[in-house]
This record gives sequence, C-alpha cells and structure tokens, in this order.
Amino acid sequence: MTLAAQRWPAFAEPIAGRKRPGARTVYRMELAKMRRLIRVRVIAVLAIIGPFLAVAALHLQSATPGDTAFGQWVHVSGFAIPMVVLGFAAQWIAPGLAAVVAGDIFSAEDHFGTWKTVLTRSCSRGQLFTGKFLAALTFGLALGLLLTVTDLLAGLLAGTQPVVGLGGQLVPAGHATLLVVLSYLSDLPPLLGFTALAVLLSVVSRSSVVGIGGVVAITFLLQVVTLLSLPAWAQLALLSTPFQAWHGFWAQPAFYGEFSWGLVTCAGWFAACAAGSWLVFRRRTIGVAP
Amino acid sequence: MVAVTEAGPAETGSAEALSAVAARGVSKWFGPATALDAVDFTVRPGDVHGLLGPNGAGKTTLLALLFGLILPDEGTLRLFGRTRAEAGAGWLDGVGGFVETPRFYPYLSGRRNLAVLAGLDGGDAAGLIDAALDRVGLTGARQQKVRGYSLGMRQRLGLAAAMLRRPRLLILDEPANGMDPAGTRDLRTALRHLARDGVTVVLSSHDMAQVEEICDSVTVLHQGRAMYAGRLDAMRARAPDPVWRLHTSDDGAAAEAARHLPGVKTGARDDGGLVVFAAQDRLDDYVLHLGRGGIAVRGLVLDVTPLEALFFQLTGDTAEQAKEVS
Repeated sequence: MTLAAQRWPAFAEPIAGRKRPGARTVYRMELAKMRRLIRVRVIAVLAIIGPFLAVAALHLQSATPGDTAFGQWVHVSGFAIPMVVLGFAAQWIAPGLAAVVAGDIFSAEDHFGTWKTVLTRSCSRGQLFTGKFLAALTFGLALGLLLTVTDLLAGLLAGTQPVVGLGGQLVPAGHATLLVVLSYLSDLPPLLGFTALAVLLSVVSRSSVVGIGGVVAITFLLQVVTLLSLPAWAQLALLSTPFQAWHGFWAQPAFYGEFSWGLVTCAGWFAACAAGSWLVFRRRTIGVAP
Repeated sequence: MVAVTEAGPAETGSAEALSAVAARGVSKWFGPATALDAVDFTVRPGDVHGLLGPNGAGKTTLLALLFGLILPDEGTLRLFGRTRAEAGAGWLDGVGGFVETPRFYPYLSGRRNLAVLAGLDGGDAAGLIDAALDRVGLTGARQQKVRGYSLGMRQRLGLAAAMLRRPRLLILDEPANGMDPAGTRDLRTALRHLARDGVTVVLSSHDMAQVEEICDSVTVLHQGRAMYAGRLDAMRARAPDPVWRLHTSDDGAAAEAARHLPGVKTGARDDGGLVVFAAQDRLDDYVLHLGRGGIAVRGLVLDVTPLEALFFQLTGDTAEQAKEVS
C-alpha cells in the first residue's frame, strides 16, 4: 500500500483520552529500550553465572588469594567467597558495569541523533531527564542486587561452614549470611554515586566512550589515589572509599562510622553529579547548527 | 533584493490570532552567524506552506524554532495563536513532524520505535501504530530493525511517527529527501489529502518545482531573511518570464532574429546553444519565426519555470548557478 492509497481519517479525529505523559512514562520506555540492548543482556548473564564460575575457579586451584580480606578462608567457608568477590569486583568492575548503561543513556541519543525525535513529542526536558536518570539508577541497583543474590548463592553452594571475621572471631552461618547481604547492600550507595558520575560524563561529553570509559578511568585513578597518604578527610571524600565500609561490619566489635560517612560522601557526589547533569542538559541546544 | 510580504502591519494582528503559524520579527544567531534575520510569515489553517530556500537559508533553524528545540533571540512565534510562554507544556499539542532526516533507534524495529514514541505521546497513540505503518507502506518492514532501513523508508517512518500525534499542524523538513519518484508522488498526494482533512502542513524544500505542485503559500528564505512570504498565486503574478534552453542549426542567426522580436531575449550558453527569456506565447512566435527563416530548431527545453526564475531573483542566484546547485 502506498502513502496516497488511503486518506488519513482516523488521524484527523480529535485526540481521545490523551493524558499528558510524565517522567514515569519516559522511565518505562527507557527500561523497555534497555531490555533490547545486547550489552545489557550480556551483563545480566555474566552477573548470574560469573559468581559460580569464580567458585569453580577457586576450587580448581589450591592456592588462595591470601592478600585480600577473607582470601585465606575461601577453601574453608563458602561465605568467604562472596566477600573476596565483593572486595575485588565492587572497586574495580561494578562501577564500569553500571556505567555501561548510565554512561550511554544520554549520549546514545546524541549518537543516534534522536534528541530531535523525542523532544518533539509530548514530554518535557525535565521529564526526559528524570525518566532516563531513574532508569540508569534502576540498572545500577538491579545489578547490585543481582550480584548480591548470585554471589551469596554461589558461596552457599561452596559450603556453609562458619567463617572467621576480620577481628578473628568465628561468625556462625546465620550471622554470616546476614553480614554478606549487608556488606553487598553497603556498596550500593557508592555504586549509585558512580552511576550519577557516568550520567554527568555522558551528558557533558555527549559521548558514550567518555561516559563509560571515563568512569573506568576515574575508578582506576581513585584506587591509585587511595594508595597515597592522604589526610583522613580527603580519604573519606573519595567516592571509592565507601566501597570498603563493610570491613567495619566484620570487625570485633563491629563499627559503622565509615559506613555513615560513606553515605554522606555518596550523597554529596550523587547530588553534585545529578545537579550538574541537569543544568547542562536543560540549557543544551538540540540538533541545529548554523 | 527586496523582501516582499503579502500582509501589511495593520493586518497582522487578526491574522496571527487566526493563523496556525505566525512569525513576527523572528531572529536567531549562532555566535556571530545570523541564522534568521527578522523573519515574518503566516500560515493559514489547512494550508500547505512551503519554506523555500537554498542550503543554509535558515529553513531548518526556523523549523527547529517551531518545535521549540531552540528559542528565538528576538521576535515572536505563535502556534495556533499562542506563544510558547502562553502555551507552556502544551506548546506542541497538535503538532507533529520532524527536523532534518527523521532519526530512530537503529537497534529497534520500525514498529517498536513507533511504540516508544507513542508511549511518549500518551493517550491512544499506540493504537494507531499499525494503521500508520500501513498508510506509509511499511507494514512489510515493521519488524525489521531500523538500521536496515533506506533513507526513503526512514522518511516514511518519520511521517508515520508524526501522524501518531494526530497533528493539526504537520511540520516536515525536506520530506521527499531520499524517496523514489513514486514515493515523492505519493507523499504529495498524501499531504494534499491531509490538508483537505484540515491539517496544516509546513514543509521545507529547496526544490521550487516540488513546492509549486503542492503548496498554497510559500516563504522564500535567503541568508536568514524572508524574501517573500505569501500566497503562491500572488507570487506567480510577480514571476518573470521562464527561461528556455535552445539549440538550433545556426545559433548566431537565431540570436540575431530574437533582436527583432518583442518579449524575447537571448544569450549564449557556455556549453553551446542559446538561453532564451520569453513567455510561452512569445516563444511560440519566435520558434515560428526561426522556421520561416530557415533555421532548424534542434532542441528546446524549459530550463527555469517562472516561479523558479522569481525564486532565483529573490535569492540572488543566477539560473545557471541554481541549476548547478540543484
């Protein structure tokens, strides 16, 4: 059928039941688009099978990662395994994985040239920004929670013997399960902070390479900076520091000061990145050059 | 060059209130570059209005302003009698279309792209997707990823996406770009049908012949200025003689013969033959005169229509330059 074959009577009628869409609609659309992305599916599969592969790899070798927290106990207790994975993955990998979506969710529209398409619909810039930002956060949260579940399950599969805590105390299975979950949850705030940072880089640079690669580079840089003898306040201000807050949960006696400071640090980074992203996005000229 | 508009200042107030689009003194600068310079034009409801001009004339900037993608630095723009400040979030209610080539998510199918856009429109737009795809002839390609679409298919998908909004005002930037001749013909017919159903259409083009076929009114832009804004028939009345390309058995004698005929002017073409400026009846006399003088006419082609000639006058291009560009 051709363009001219029929008239467009249905399209000329008054709009029926149109309710102005809001940020929630944008959020839903972004999640629908996200589900279609191959890289999102790959990350989800890796997050599910990765911990089990890690358990299998640890079982195949007699040596232990003794220089990391809980490393010496990986052949003794299954609870040590998710903590070793957390100590490594949270600081080096998770920010980059979260940035795969957050660092691309705005700049992909620049790359595809689709800002003009979506901004000529019924949603405002504010609604688009909110919906996209929430979708990026949702991916970061979902990734963190998925890793919590799969890492814990992989650990339980390896064994439920009591584990030795960081204060040398023996932690029984039930309490160890709780501490593993709390440790993973305590890494969500910095993960969301890195998500907001990825969004900022994506908005400012309009480039997914910068949005994703920038976060990976900053993650490495922060790890290097952590090795320097910085004043305590400077250490606490780094976005990577809260990833270590769970150490206090496993101490004897337990302490939560670092976790509380970490929340403040993450909130500060998050607010600054979110506000900066919005200010840049709100003033942006879309799609027309002289 | 002198800018011409149909309506004088006294008429503009009531016209703006009744018009689908009204621009008054709209200017836009990008740094030191002037994209639009005090542009005035009005589009009546139900008209097909052409924004005409060479590349860089300001057509796309003007369309981006209509969509609110950018803001004017000076002047007032009204859609259906309301400024953007007055309309607020409802500025684009009843407005659909695209600026530059329609762009979509390449990793999604045509249908899923429309589903995303319909979601952003709200209401019952999603229920129109299949009908819209059918109308633009993309039913067979609806499940195909957009990355595999040709330019013409994207233009069709852009039209379908615009129609999901059930627009009272349809704004299209070079809509025939990339379409094959049949698609272009269908597009013209579709736009006329839409106008008959009460939809106002504003489209940009650099092709005068295309605009001449489907538009009721036109704004000619050149270097950001509106050189003409008004009805197409009024423009026709001002149009100069058409330009013809003539090849004869003796071009020198043919040029000499033209000197003795009123209303006929000739010039030599660089590639041989003559360029003839003459109305149709004068040209008929000229051709008969050549025949009686024993000069054979080997080729006669309409090179520039009267409206094209006026367009070139308004935009300061010579016919030859414009032909090279087009």
